[in-house]
Amino acid sequence: MIRWAVVTVVVAACVGYLVYSASGGSAEYYLTVSELRSHQPASGDVRVAGVVQNDIQRSDGGLHVRFTEKDGTATVPVDYTGTLPDIFKPGITVVAEGRLGTDGIFHARVVLAKCPSRFSTTSYTS
Amino acid sequence: MPVALLDDFIHVVILAFLGSGALLAGLVMAVFSALLSFWAGRVENRVMIQVGRRAFYATAAMIFIASALLETALVTHDFSLAYVAEHTDLSTPIALVAAGFYGGQEGSLLYWALILGILGSASLLASARLGPRLAAYAAGIMGAIASFFLVVLVMVASPFDVLAVTPPDGLGLNPVLRDGGMLIHPPVVLAGFAAFAIPFSFAAAALLAGRFDASWIAHTRRFALVAWGLQSAGLLLGMWWAYHVLGWGGYWGWDPVENVAFMPWLATTAYLHSSQVQERRGRLRAWNFALVILAFLLVVFGTFIVRSGIVPSVHTFAVSAIGPWFLGFLGLCIVFSIGLLALRSGGLRSGGEAGPAVSREGAFALQNLLLIGVIAVVFWGTMLPLVSGLVGQERVVGVSYYERAAGPLFVAILALMAAGPLIPWRHAGAPFWRSLVWPGATCALVLATLLAGGVRSLPALFGVPLSAAVASTVIYEYIRAIGRWRRAGGGRARALALLARRRRRYGAYLAHLGLAVVVVGLAASHFWQQERDVTMRPGQQATVAGYTLTYRGSDTRELADHSELVAAMTLGGKTLEPARATYAGLGGQSLTHVAISSSPIADVYVVLAGINSDGSASFRIFVNPLVSWIWAGGAIIILGVILGNAGSRRTVAEPVPARVASPVGVS
Repeated sequence: MIRWAVVTVVVAACVGYLVYSASGGSAEYYLTVSELRSHQPASGDVRVAGVVQNDIQRSDGGLHVRFTEKDGTATVPVDYTGTLPDIFKPGITVVAEGRLGTDGIFHARVVLAKCPSRFSTTSYTS
Repeated sequence: MPVALLDDFIHVVILAFLGSGALLAGLVMAVFSALLSFWAGRVENRVMIQVGRRAFYATAAMIFIASALLETALVTHDFSLAYVAEHTDLSTPIALVAAGFYGGQEGSLLYWALILGILGSASLLASARLGPRLAAYAAGIMGAIASFFLVVLVMVASPFDVLAVTPPDGLGLNPVLRDGGMLIHPPVVLAGFAAFAIPFSFAAAALLAGRFDASWIAHTRRFALVAWGLQSAGLLLGMWWAYHVLGWGGYWGWDPVENVAFMPWLATTAYLHSSQVQERRGRLRAWNFALVILAFLLVVFGTFIVRSGIVPSVHTFAVSAIGPWFLGFLGLCIVFSIGLLALRSGGLRSGGEAGPAVSREGAFALQNLLLIGVIAVVFWGTMLPLVSGLVGQERVVGVSYYERAAGPLFVAILALMAAGPLIPWRHAGAPFWRSLVWPGATCALVLATLLAGGVRSLPALFGVPLSAAVASTVIYEYIRAIGRWRRAGGGRARALALLARRRRRYGAYLAHLGLAVVVVGLAASHFWQQERDVTMRPGQQATVAGYTLTYRGSDTRELADHSELVAAMTLGGKTLEPARATYAGLGGQSLTHVAISSSPIADVYVVLAGINSDGSASFRIFVNPLVSWIWAGGAIIILGVILGNAGSRRTVAEPVPARVASPVGVS
């Protein structure tokens, strides 16, 4: 019994250490655009959620894109190279992962779209 | 036009009224079944126990009728039902229209209840031999779970709500879901979750009845395996679907929605192993109860997370009124389960003394601890946004967190998988250490080959050799078994008969082998994936990882529900046609159609980014090594589950209570 208690404690300690060390390094801030504006530039990447505005500029066959993300009050220009989610268009909410450059442009590594719903496009009842 | 009016009237009456009526009747029956079963079990009134059980069958029948009515409404395009109008339209292929049954919030709840009804009834059929009290409580708990789903279906999320004005056409299914994956992934995952309600019900019933022996494990063993098999298949099908449809070259993103489906699978895996310790050695009783309860709570928790949208996810699910209901249900389940465990903690002490650490039971126990560790890692990663949001700025963890935190635990589990099957029960002696030579040698050989081949990625250097060791252990066990039977004489027929008799064991080994194949596929496609963005004019070539693709030109096609911009490429003798589809009927929503050329060595995966005004086209090209191994390994796992379970189980002769005359005249 005591032996297993020791094993359990050892495994729990290992898991605790792994969680602690892994989340310390890679936990990213999840911000809205206005929070990004007031956020101290951190060393790691952040994720910024906002609504895509009407100024999407594509180049390089659609692989390079610039657009503006906006929440209630603040906006930020986003620069991204890569394939975009299918539902990417003005008006949808996206989550851009990357960092704010000194040029004031958010350089995204990943742009994820928030699906409006898994199941349906809109609803009749609501 | 009176005929048309009558027709409309009949439709509304038949489908909406009958459907709602069936759900309401089902709810009444479920509540009745739960209350009666608990009371009858307490006083051990055999007649009433049987009535309670039959009330559960009636509940299942009502759910079945409601399901059949909803399916009828869907395939006949009855847009007077809000559910039908919101999830299908006339242009959607009929198979996907039928899949609309579980494609929406309300329908998926009904589907959950349907699986619970069917499997629950099947598990209750032969439950009388467990003793009246245990069987009654199990029926009561299943009735209570069914009651919850039916309350939600009747009061909050009815699939039979009628629209005031019947629209001429529905809204249709989101294009991302217009895919074969929609036909198989959601029903398999949901069925895997619903199926786990059965082991949970019997475990909780055994606790309530104070029956701590392994009979509830034996009775629900198949249901647990079915649940595990469905959950495994569901996870892999989800990965396959994401890989083929979403066009980001991957299949798993550690998104909360994926995580909450993964955690019950981990707990179920742990339970399948630890339950054997109780069956064989009579140990880990309390642990098994706790594990089954944990697995079921994780199922409910996952449903709550997915339905409530409280953690940020790429999938934002239909956020609706049922979130709080599931939170309430989760709370009730937690209070009930913990209360039950606390109440019975005195009687749960396992008999006998603890076995030696190096033994099969020791390996299972360690594996269980490691799996719980993985659950803890995934749980923390999933809940961090919520927890950090409460105390300060919301934070999220990315893929690297899961790799760094769960990776070492997976490595330890793989090592245990390689050694565990070779360790005998009770006590490991010298022959055991000798048998470890095979997996050890395989592991060393593969490791040396990888190092010589210039591989320096640490996760790949752990994952691939250990998977090879797991496979080598399984093959060694098969060879040893065949050799033993040949020495015993009797030829191939007898060897096969012996294999069939021990199919539980050799089916499980096959599942181990399948998992090893999956892990090799995961490791290779993850650590050796190559990607390149290219822009080409017709006739130009691009080479990625030794695969040369030639761009031929683009074309536009008009199909039933969408138009496609196709960019044709050739790869060797094959033509690949990555495309972008546009759905005019859905506000011009566009969708990538990925082109994949698959082989056992690697997949060439091409996404069309767009076509430029000068006639050139831009692509993102991935080369994903060994991805097909993941799907092949999944098939082996499922084969192992099926072979390990096929045929009739040898039933242990146990006293079956005399048949009770039915008081209601139906027997």
